[in-house]
Amino acid sequence: MGKFTRRDFLKVAAAGAGAMTLGAILDACGQVLPTSLPSTDTPIPSNQQPATLSPFPPDIIPPATDTVPAPTDIPLPTPDLVVTRGGEPEALVRRALAALGGIEKFVPSGANVIVKPNICLAYHTYEYAATTNPWLVGTLVKMCYEAGAASVKVMDNPFGGTQQKAYEISGIKEQVEAAGGVMTNMLSYYYVPTQNPSAVVLKTVKVYDDILKADVLINVPIAKQHSSSRLTLGMKNLMGVIQNRSALHINLGQCIADLNALIKPQLTVVDAVRILTANGPTGGNLTDVKKLDTVIASPDVVAADSYAASLFGMKPEDLDYIVIGTAMGLGRSDLQNLNVQVIQLDA
Amino acid sequence: MREIPRVKMENQVTLLKRGKRKFRKGQVAGPWILFRKTVQYLTLFIFIALFVWSRQDGGQPNLINIPMRMDPLLILAHLVASRTILVGSTLALIVLLLTVVFGRAWCGWLCPLGTILDLFPLNRWRKKRPAPSDGWRRIKFDFVIVIFVAALLGNLTLLFFDPLTLLLRTLTVSLWPALDRIVTAVEAGLAHFPVLAGPLSTFDNWIRPTILPIQPVYYRDGLLFLAVFLGVILLNLLVARFWCRYLCPLGGALGWLGKLAIFRRKVGMECKGCTLCTDICPTGTINPTKDYASDPSECTMCLDCLEVCPCGQTRFVTVFSPEKWTAYDPDAKEALLAVGVTVAAIALFKSSQPAMRQTPFLIRPPGVRENNLDVVAFTKCTRCNECIRVCPTGGLQPAVFDAGTAGLGSPILVPRLGYCDYSCNACGQVCPVQAIPPLGLAKKREQVIGLAFINENRCIPWSDRRPCLVCEEMCPLPEKAIQLEKVEVWGPDGKSVTLQLPHVLREVCIGCGICEYKCPVSGEAAIQVYIPQVEVPF
Repeated sequence: MGKFTRRDFLKVAAAGAGAMTLGAILDACGQVLPTSLPSTDTPIPSNQQPATLSPFPPDIIPPATDTVPAPTDIPLPTPDLVVTRGGEPEALVRRALAALGGIEKFVPSGANVIVKPNICLAYHTYEYAATTNPWLVGTLVKMCYEAGAASVKVMDNPFGGTQQKAYEISGIKEQVEAAGGVMTNMLSYYYVPTQNPSAVVLKTVKVYDDILKADVLINVPIAKQHSSSRLTLGMKNLMGVIQNRSALHINLGQCIADLNALIKPQLTVVDAVRILTANGPTGGNLTDVKKLDTVIASPDVVAADSYAASLFGMKPEDLDYIVIGTAMGLGRSDLQNLNVQVIQLDA
Repeated sequence: MREIPRVKMENQVTLLKRGKRKFRKGQVAGPWILFRKTVQYLTLFIFIALFVWSRQDGGQPNLINIPMRMDPLLILAHLVASRTILVGSTLALIVLLLTVVFGRAWCGWLCPLGTILDLFPLNRWRKKRPAPSDGWRRIKFDFVIVIFVAALLGNLTLLFFDPLTLLLRTLTVSLWPALDRIVTAVEAGLAHFPVLAGPLSTFDNWIRPTILPIQPVYYRDGLLFLAVFLGVILLNLLVARFWCRYLCPLGGALGWLGKLAIFRRKVGMECKGCTLCTDICPTGTINPTKDYASDPSECTMCLDCLEVCPCGQTRFVTVFSPEKWTAYDPDAKEALLAVGVTVAAIALFKSSQPAMRQTPFLIRPPGVRENNLDVVAFTKCTRCNECIRVCPTGGLQPAVFDAGTAGLGSPILVPRLGYCDYSCNACGQVCPVQAIPPLGLAKKREQVIGLAFINENRCIPWSDRRPCLVCEEMCPLPEKAIQLEKVEVWGPDGKSVTLQLPHVLREVCIGCGICEYKCPVSGEAAIQVYIPQVEVPF
């Protein structure tokens, strides 16, 4: 190129402008495609007051057995909720799902599955109970493939540290990839503004597109203490799939319930292999961690959370998102009427 | 001085024809040029590759910062200012040695900014105009004097204009974020075509986080830093490599050392005076009125003249005596003036407001403050901005005027843009001169970089009587630097509500800034990190 003529300049300028316009047009295409979702037909209570907070039990959590409703004598076809105790994470989750009727009940052959663990930070390894147990997640990925899933993606968007680092430090990346699953980067442009018609507060929310498109969503929270919502369990774990989470904290209970009206996991598996009893959700102190070797599995996220609350010596009514969620018809929190099956593996 | 040889007209024409055969697309061709360009592009590629590799858990920190540790201006100025010798800095000897042997070969063969300037021969767009007077060349030499006198007085501000720091800063703050936005915009557009979902995700997994970040990072004043870089390129409009000829402080430093160069250009006696070399020389140092001799302080050893010379009279020979001082090398008077100006400027810096009382939000990377005083940042920081590049949250930003004029380009943490990640110690690992100490993660977690204060007038539970507590949740410390006070207060509707009010534990808080970053209050956060308490009283 001997000379850069005016003509050359105009060509380059036109090409550049064209490319930018194309980008803008393509970008604009996306704005008109809010994913519509089926709304629940349950009437929503209009004036939800957050439940009165009772003081948090100061020190020790009562042994879980004390608060567990006794297993029903007559084994019904499938229980509403299964609790497995005393074993390795893999055995716990396999047994729990077997009791629920097998993973095939939730994961049809050829399904695209997303497993959503809690990988909220990159600070600590799994022993600190800030992130979901890696073997629990790995086993679920394995089981999905055994059931004939077409793809299994695992994702979370940490609030502390980078995704990449959090995936690694938590140990989840290693187990998931060993099981053949894909650790997916959650990218900023993939959040889609979504209408949430049954919501009280959270009318529109930007949700990660993959979550909306997945055939099956498996929610794998870890049970942790959390100051504003008191406990972070299954319902709270779904906050990982939306953008701008900080703003939700002003009316957190209602927002969590609203989010659960939009995003409905087919299966919730609460990791209580280790639970974090204080200084959550970040942790960092092993004295705050309690090893319970327990897994709670249920297709009903509200029920799973209600039971998990008992591990911390709380009642479902102590957690406002459970109260609101129950009122919104998202699930059941009446543990005494649920068919709960408790399986002690090492007994 | 020999007279310009008188050549017959037809002779001159044949010579020009013979010489011009070597021109292609306005540039000289030939095996030496091919070799030089290969080296140039390879070096530029390596520089950018190391830049791309600079991220948390990306590449080996001591490999990433090699270009900076090879930069003799940066290393020597740091040595003078900090009065410390670092083992890692001995890499700069390579370039010094190269200069003693080959003169300013760094500029012609290795400097990535030089290569970029070669890629924009803007002066060819215009009609040929006479180059500025040779007197302008003194600017870069004066620049060197100013930088070293300032360094002696403990100031490194002007390393902002070192070519490597300039390029790395522009890549970090301007070019790469812009590239990321463009790629993201195109991806976001294409993401709406379901057919493309597969290839797009493959592409994304390939490009992120290898080349572009997973989560976008944001920089203040990217355009401002880009403008400096663009200015350097646009100066090529006046004359080729204007920056290298007249301004570059590294070029000036190497130029002076180049007076000792062993290999120097010499023109043979048989020269017919065709002026081809004068026309092609990118630094315009070949002087037809002085027998086509050149100044080794200016010659970048590009070898264009060697290739273009039709008579084979341009040679590179070994010389073992230092080159003479030229008219544009600063004389004693000028040097003294430069020293005086520098001393006055440093005195002004030391009497400026930030020297007496720091700006309240001047949060430095972990371990930079000594006794919580912000002195090190000025005597040690070479403004290379490697730390800013590796910071995974984008919290580290180059200071514009936050640290006073003297702090230009030094790193500060802006918590509203990004926090100091509790799982990261990358900045200290990558710093080429240990201005940020290379702390292990456990040690880094103990560094107090600031102190959080709650603004009760803006805080949601304090002023609105509504629950929030994001700051407490986000606090990464195992014992939580934010504690909650449970109170029964009157709510906005006149009814009694039970609330938890956040309080900062001053002795626990390390000032990482995640509370400020995540605070849901729009605008100024209701919890802000200030500079740490100074332990030593005045």
